Amino acid sequence: MVEKLLEISNLRTYFFTEAGVVKAVDGISVEVNKGKTIGLVGESGSGKSVTAQSVLRIVPRPGRIVDGSIRFAGEDLLSKSENEMRKLRGPQMAIVFQDPTTSLNPVYTVEKQLTDILMLHKDLTKAEASKTALSLLQHVGIQEPEKRLKAYPHELSGGMKQRIAIARALSCEPTLLFADEPTTNLDVTIQAQVLELLKQLQKEYGMTMVMITHDMGIVADMTERVTVLYAGKVMEVADTHTLFTSPKHPYTEALLKAVPSVKQTRALEVIPGNIPNLIEPPTGCVFHPRCKYAKEICVKSEPALEKVENGHDVACHFWRDLKLEGRGR
Amino acid sequence: MIPVFLGVAILTFGVGNAAGNPIDLIRAGLKYPSPAVLEALTRYYHLDRPVWERFLYWLWDLLHGNLGVSISGRPVLSQIGPWTITTLELQILSLLLAVVIGIPVGVYSSKHQYSKMDYAITTTAIFGYSMPTFWLGIMLIVVFSLDLGWLPSSGAASVSYLWWGNPFLDWLAHLILPTLVLTYVGLATIVRLVRANMLEVMRQDYILAARASGLSERTVTYRYALRNAISPVVTIIGLGFGAALGGAPALETTFSWPGLGYAFTQAALTLDIPLVEGITIIITLMVLIANLITDLAYAFLDPRVTIE
Amino acid sequence: MPEERGKRGASQWAVAWRRFKRNKSALIGSAIVVFFVAVALLAPYIAPYPARSYLPLYEGDAGSPPSFKHPFGVEDSGIDVFSETIHGTTNDLYVGLAATLITTLIGVAVGAVAGYFKGAISDVLLGLTQVFFVIPVLLLILLFARVFSVLVFRGLGLTLIVLILSFFGWSSIAFIVRGETLRLKEMEFIQAARALGASSYRILFRHIVPNILSPVIVVATLNIAGFILTEVVVSFLGFGDANTSTWGLLLNEGFSFIRTDWWVSLFPGIAVVVCVLGFNVMGDGLSDALNPRLRE
Repeated sequence: MVEKLLEISNLRTYFFTEAGVVKAVDGISVEVNKGKTIGLVGESGSGKSVTAQSVLRIVPRPGRIVDGSIRFAGEDLLSKSENEMRKLRGPQMAIVFQDPTTSLNPVYTVEKQLTDILMLHKDLTKAEASKTALSLLQHVGIQEPEKRLKAYPHELSGGMKQRIAIARALSCEPTLLFADEPTTNLDVTIQAQVLELLKQLQKEYGMTMVMITHDMGIVADMTERVTVLYAGKVMEVADTHTLFTSPKHPYTEALLKAVPSVKQTRALEVIPGNIPNLIEPPTGCVFHPRCKYAKEICVKSEPALEKVENGHDVACHFWRDLKLEGRGR
Repeated sequence: MIPVFLGVAILTFGVGNAAGNPIDLIRAGLKYPSPAVLEALTRYYHLDRPVWERFLYWLWDLLHGNLGVSISGRPVLSQIGPWTITTLELQILSLLLAVVIGIPVGVYSSKHQYSKMDYAITTTAIFGYSMPTFWLGIMLIVVFSLDLGWLPSSGAASVSYLWWGNPFLDWLAHLILPTLVLTYVGLATIVRLVRANMLEVMRQDYILAARASGLSERTVTYRYALRNAISPVVTIIGLGFGAALGGAPALETTFSWPGLGYAFTQAALTLDIPLVEGITIIITLMVLIANLITDLAYAFLDPRVTIE
Repeated sequence: MPEERGKRGASQWAVAWRRFKRNKSALIGSAIVVFFVAVALLAPYIAPYPARSYLPLYEGDAGSPPSFKHPFGVEDSGIDVFSETIHGTTNDLYVGLAATLITTLIGVAVGAVAGYFKGAISDVLLGLTQVFFVIPVLLLILLFARVFSVLVFRGLGLTLIVLILSFFGWSSIAFIVRGETLRLKEMEFIQAARALGASSYRILFRHIVPNILSPVIVVATLNIAGFILTEVVVSFLGFGDANTSTWGLLLNEGFSFIRTDWWVSLFPGIAVVVCVLGFNVMGDGLSDALNPRLRE
């Protein structure tokens, strides 16, 4: 019996800025089964990070969740008080952020940042927390952990900082982990290591992981199901294999084509146009300005998510007619 | 530090000798010093030597605490002591109040951005540093002292009548208005700065990450955000202290507060050159010390900074 | 293929201007500044009495409180406060703007050279900047003003005041310009220019200076406010020019009569506060407009 750990339903998170209302997340629905890794894919501005922040309810001002529901392990998160949410953050759900240089507090040692969290959620003394922090560092593969523990973030390399950020996220053994572009800011060689680390830790802790990325390569490597986002809306949802071999949405096709492969002989295809303005998003289908198959109906009416087959949904008027190119596995 | 001190020394000495030598300048002023004093000053300034030697002698004397004799005949150094204390008691008290009140207000303002309270606070602050400090003093004197008679209008202590009963309360009564003025202006700067820095810091990822880890709002605001936002504030406090000292002449004159600033104004008006030079040097020293303390505090607060 | 929305002008100045226009307080500040500039320029035509004129004395109005005839009252000496305040606007704005202009030129030159070049010259310039930044500037200004007013035949005069203020007031801009220059120096477009054979001077003037304009404009605007305040203090203490109408002089004269003629201290002071406020608020608005901080 597959248990649904996270059910996001028609989530809308808007940012009320001086320049206008930014519709960062505009009707996103995602389901995550327990123990699985799912991918949340899209370019910057697609709403992937804000979705994760919305689940933990830490959306920064001037953002606010304006509509929808979020259920975690059967409980309605949006009706919980701030105190109740705080008890969940860390022990139940956590985020690893993209840039470890800015996600670690520059004025405190690694030890302090870890022990603060450990002492808060688990009833530990300072000494016990320090010991736990040490073993956490060892667990994420940091060499000479005693030294690193006493160090300040600016004294450490990018890869090490990200491992520490991962250690921090996992310190209270959360059930759900959001990894928000965890390798984007790292060197290529380190990227692979960090991804391996995440895979290994997921297995060990039995976590459910949401992999937020724009890199289809990572999606192929790490995830079992994928949700493709664009401009705050869901374009396509499918098992990873299905998405790669038979995508049904033009945007998905374009994303797949933009990833170079060794066997490739033709030129890389670029998705024309720019990221849409989220204050005044395009009418109808939000992708239509950049879609090479777009017709008049795409400008006028927003396509609803339709079922292609079990476990595969797509939001496009023409998914039945288009013959889109996937990639052989 | 040393170059600054030398720079001020050169400038002060230079201007004192602008008429060729200090004695002529003094004579151009309003007071006519006694022959004995002129004699002493001629020796002090080594007027029989060329300019650069005079400067070195003067510097040497300075560093050994010999600041010469003022026109009145009294040695400069001995007068400066009590004045310094009088100035410092006002400045330091105001600084402490401004910091203690300003930081929480700034934090509050940043957390309630765009609220009516925030708007009121920032508007009050911007008025604070748009006005001449001494003018606020004058206005307060007119209202609270001359009109209402609640507080004394001048001096640091009364001669004939003890306000509020005893010497200590009398001193306190005299302290209130000038402190109020100085604190308000200090608050204006600090509140604005703390607010701006907090807004900047609260947008950082590590604050988001701290919240994501379940830390309480209080911990996040004070221990994580403020701790990061405070370093530049410390620097500004140091600079502000220097600026306040520099502004002492106007404020102290307004309240007839018998400190270094008041003395400086009188000395400069009467062209009491030795006194003026002495006070300038002392105030410069205090500014330099304040900056040194500030630098050390900054290095302490921000582990990314090392002391050179 | 569906059309894209019409594109609007996207130069950074156009964007900043649009942002500035949206900022209510910035607009208020600018309005205040424009008002004072207008008063300064029109002073000879709108002031009821000429500068430093004792006419009201002969009209029997010396020492009178604010009235319809003399909106800001009259000093004991017979000087009409309203007229003096208007004339003071001209002089104070002159001091503020002139000193800002000079210090900006000096500051940009010193800062750019100190930031761009390496070696003895930059070190010396940096040292000078640091010295002039830390010294208790007001004390030295007062000292210089007093000594020069005694030595210079014609008395101090506004221009000399401007020069003294400028001599001591360039370091903040120099620091900022130096910092920005250092930062820009490392950027790729500078290296590209060098790779294309541009000389150092060309790089400095064509590439670096235009890019530091934003912070310089902000600081310069705030400096105008600062210089006006400094002038007010200097004149209030009696170190300014006793024959030129300035707000500080008014406050100086008013202070002697504070028990009886409070209006001499009140109205010029309000003028100072509003004028300085205008520049400060406008400067803040410029800062917000030129430094994008919106989350997009």
